[in-house]
Amino acid sequence: MTETVTLHIDGVSYEVPAGMNLVDAARVYAGVEIPVFCYHPKLEPVGMCRMCLVDIGFEMRDRESGELLLNEDGTPQIRWGRKLETACTTTVRAGMHVRTMTEPVQEARKDVLEFLLSSHPLDCPICDKGGECPLQSLTMRHGPATSRMVLEDKMHLAKHVPLGDLIYLDRERCIQCARCIRFQDEIVGDDVLAFHERGRRLQIVTISDPPFDTYFSGNTTDICPVGALTTADFRFGARPWELQDVPSICPHCPVGCNIVASTRLDRDAGGVKVIKRILPRQNEAVNEIWICDKGRFGHHHSLSPDRLAAPLIRKNGELVEASWDEAIQAAAEGLQAAGKNVGVIAGPMLSNEDLWGLRELAEGLGSKRLGLWPASLGDAKPLDEVGVASGTNFAALGKGDAVLVIATDLEEEAPIWYLRVKQAADRGAALIVANTRTTKLDHYAAQTLRFAVGGAADVLNGLTAAAIGQKWIAEDLIESRVSGFGDLQKALKNVSGGDEDAAEVLARAENLVIVAGNDGLDAEGHTALLQAAANFLIVTGHVGRAHNGLLPVWPGANTQGALDLGYESADTRRMLSRTPRALLVAGADIAADPAGAKALQKADFVVCMTLFPDATAEAADVVLPIQSTTERDGTFTNAERRVQRFYTAHGPLGESLSAWEAAALLGQHFGLPAPRYNPALVMKAIAAAVKPYADISFPALTAAEVQMPPIGEAKGFYGGTARPPIGGTGIQLPARSEGRGKLHVKPVDAPGAFEVGEDELLVVPVRRLYDRTPEFASSKLMHDRIPQPFVALNEADAARLGVASGDTVEVSADGAAVTVTAVVDDYAPQGVAFLPLRLSADPFPMIPVTGTVTRVAEALPVGD
Amino acid sequence: MNVIRGFATTLKHLFMEPVTYQYPEEERPFRDRYKGRHVLKRYDNGLEKCIGCALCAAACPADAIWVEAAENTDEERYSPGERYAKTYEINMLRCIFCGYCADACPTEAIVLEHEHRLSFTNRRDAIYTKTELLEPPPEGMPGTPRQVEPGTFDRAIPEMEDPK
Ligand code: SF4
Ligand code: SF4
Ligand code: SF4
Ligand code: SF4
Ligand code: FES
Repeated sequence: MTETVTLHIDGVSYEVPAGMNLVDAARVYAGVEIPVFCYHPKLEPVGMCRMCLVDIGFEMRDRESGELLLNEDGTPQIRWGRKLETACTTTVRAGMHVRTMTEPVQEARKDVLEFLLSSHPLDCPICDKGGECPLQSLTMRHGPATSRMVLEDKMHLAKHVPLGDLIYLDRERCIQCARCIRFQDEIVGDDVLAFHERGRRLQIVTISDPPFDTYFSGNTTDICPVGALTTADFRFGARPWELQDVPSICPHCPVGCNIVASTRLDRDAGGVKVIKRILPRQNEAVNEIWICDKGRFGHHHSLSPDRLAAPLIRKNGELVEASWDEAIQAAAEGLQAAGKNVGVIAGPMLSNEDLWGLRELAEGLGSKRLGLWPASLGDAKPLDEVGVASGTNFAALGKGDAVLVIATDLEEEAPIWYLRVKQAADRGAALIVANTRTTKLDHYAAQTLRFAVGGAADVLNGLTAAAIGQKWIAEDLIESRVSGFGDLQKALKNVSGGDEDAAEVLARAENLVIVAGNDGLDAEGHTALLQAAANFLIVTGHVGRAHNGLLPVWPGANTQGALDLGYESADTRRMLSRTPRALLVAGADIAADPAGAKALQKADFVVCMTLFPDATAEAADVVLPIQSTTERDGTFTNAERRVQRFYTAHGPLGESLSAWEAAALLGQHFGLPAPRYNPALVMKAIAAAVKPYADISFPALTAAEVQMPPIGEAKGFYGGTARPPIGGTGIQLPARSEGRGKLHVKPVDAPGAFEVGEDELLVVPVRRLYDRTPEFASSKLMHDRIPQPFVALNEADAARLGVASGDTVEVSADGAAVTVTAVVDDYAPQGVAFLPLRLSADPFPMIPVTGTVTRVAEALPVGD
Repeated sequence: MNVIRGFATTLKHLFMEPVTYQYPEEERPFRDRYKGRHVLKRYDNGLEKCIGCALCAAACPADAIWVEAAENTDEERYSPGERYAKTYEINMLRCIFCGYCADACPTEAIVLEHEHRLSFTNRRDAIYTKTELLEPPPEGMPGTPRQVEPGTFDRAIPEMEDPK
């Protein structure tokens, strides 16, 4: 327990933790709202706005005896400060007395507000913040009723300043609290905003090129205490009080940020409900109060006009629209013809209920082939045991703890983890980043490790060998619970070259989280990495307790759920090489990989369930339109194994159905029961059949943990527009290591780095946050932010190939070819070309392959 | 006796000036404060006063108003400032003619004027759209949208008077 002190606010005493910020303590423990503008519970206090002035005094003590000096009536004598002080820069101490309602305090608030409003345009009626604006609320509560301002003297500044493509700045409305700048500096670490000029002319400017170049810009609009920063997406979309907030989960990455979809009826959309904006929903264990711009602005797929609205069936070689009955009939006939030789390939944007429905169908057809897309993922079994333990929270990591980030570019693959890992490092946690190339996170790393593409597992083997060699191991744990340690020790005997400094920091850390991706790895390498990471965690004793374990950076929002429900990437690989007669592909654009495209051709019959008429749908015989997250209820399991529920925000697009329902309709033709009435019943079936999910049910998922500090919650905390945890904060499934069972380590047969010949290039696919998959690119607003397709080459390789930066090149490998722009710098190691995935529509292998790069056109001269 | 008194009253009224108006041939003058059908007003330069703030909709006790806003550009300008009402509808079957909308409006854009002859044959027609509600531009002034010089109309809320 933390030490507490007695704090007296307005004559009442409270026990509060020592060292707490006075504004927070008053709000949380006393329910007293000290008004603030510049202070934000997530940011360092700066004391810039003076709104939080209060009267602070201390109990007086006799200098010699140290006794409290008492008044005649027995109350302690208090020495009040000569002037008012800012509560936000004060931490509570024993014997502190605070008065928040005295006349000078109220006068001070009035004066501060009068000053602020003297340059404020007061255009609340057209301001997107109007109605949920701290400046409005505090003026109503504490402000003067009139102003002595001569209106002609008002400062007029630009009202429509685009800061990049996503955010608009209204310079007149800015009250110069610097929350936006501080957020970008302290929390994100992107140096993109700054103040310019002085005094009343002080303005926010963007100092990056392209402007406001960060993945987190939308958060500044949440915490801006006025309407100075608003998003281009929501701009004038509705007034805040007209919106209905529906809790949801971001479907774009494995973090699983809690969000709300603010919906409202819309004439242009034909009088139906549409999503007007996405806001973060507070969940301190997952995303705190932040979301990235992909989550905030990438919601337009849900009602995109490009989506598939009705089923299609192939007639005379052409896909034509059909009714659901016809389509289901056609699909059933096709599957029937294939007998038991059917396989399912499912993508990571499907909900647990969808995946279960598909599994029931596959089993009903007599097939056991449940493939997970993409095909490049390794064996995830070690995660059942050593996945981060329940209660793990990056926010709890600090001095004495460590984080190893390996084989992933976190900023691109899981932006909110990037931000939270960075903050853990700021708090003093030792961050070690291991990758084949520089990533932005390196900047905050205590140490960076480099390895050749494919060699991630070797790094961990080396670390484990070093830890065992130096006895930085958890001997008690090994003795009592670990099986296979002898073998591991033997296998690692001859392994050397592990970085001892890194091994020591990691092994001896109080808490350790290993964040492992599959950047530059094929399935074999990924399998090895996960097992090697598990070995290290187990032998150093970093399993089975909160804030410890392995965190996989999956490629999708519900990859973890799919794994839990029996889907495997290995099954997909088997199906790609020995294609079953009939394929059922759901929510996975497998045609984006040449191997997938080939399988689609080989299969006699293909049923495709999809949001968009993509290349996979084009190759299918029956195409069924399914629903996105905001159209129905369901659950996702994020990579921390937190099962989280999302709710129906608006009606379905066209005739689309949930994938579980479509699967059940199909199943009826094979003697399976009729579709269940709702997804809650599907979850019931999951809970009954899948052990870790035994306690999960829709009602249980509505429970919300108490959020501290209560930012979304409290009227009066003025933390911004992040929403309270309505709809539940999810339930984290425990890892097996939290029980008492055996822990398994085993020697890892690391495949080692990929071999490339002298004159060859290894083409390594990498994930980018902004890509051109229709799920994201249907947000038109983001188009200019999505990079043009490019390949990153090393200078030496470029010189050898005669390629210069900006040239158009053709990258080909395994019979696939894409035309992209070359970027030449020292980012890529020699012999390696990094090719971001899904920036163009052309299929390309999703694992590292040897290939060629040839110049097809010279760069346009600059200025053309 | 009473009978005679009664007839006398009748007789007296026979020669008094009648108070009945022969509506519709004859119309009674309206008081200024009479609240009839709404009109969306324009400034003298023909720009629309309404900025699409939806405060009228928020104030309306009958939930009769539907406003959707959009952004002005100098190429296509409807109102001064950044914002205008793209959709503006009042459902006259719901309206109780209380005038709260006019009270709430920060630009005095919506005014209940004297038109009172409202009749519809179906529910859809009872919804007055922006085209029906918006008054025509003043004599000789162009309507909206129109193209304007950049930077001329950058303020939405009319200048307020200094506090006395
Ligand atoms: S733009 Fe908003 S957050 Fe930034 S300084 Fe101005 S008022 Fe504060
Ligand atoms: S970090 Fe991931 S889950 Fe969170 S908003 Fe961004 S894309 Fe969505
Ligand atoms: S007059 Fe009253 S009821 Fe009618 S639209 Fe206005 S506010 Fe609503
Ligand atoms: S009529 Fe007035 S209150 Fe209603 S939207 Fe227009 S400006 Fe706002
Ligand atoms: S000075 Fe304390 S909140 Fe701004």
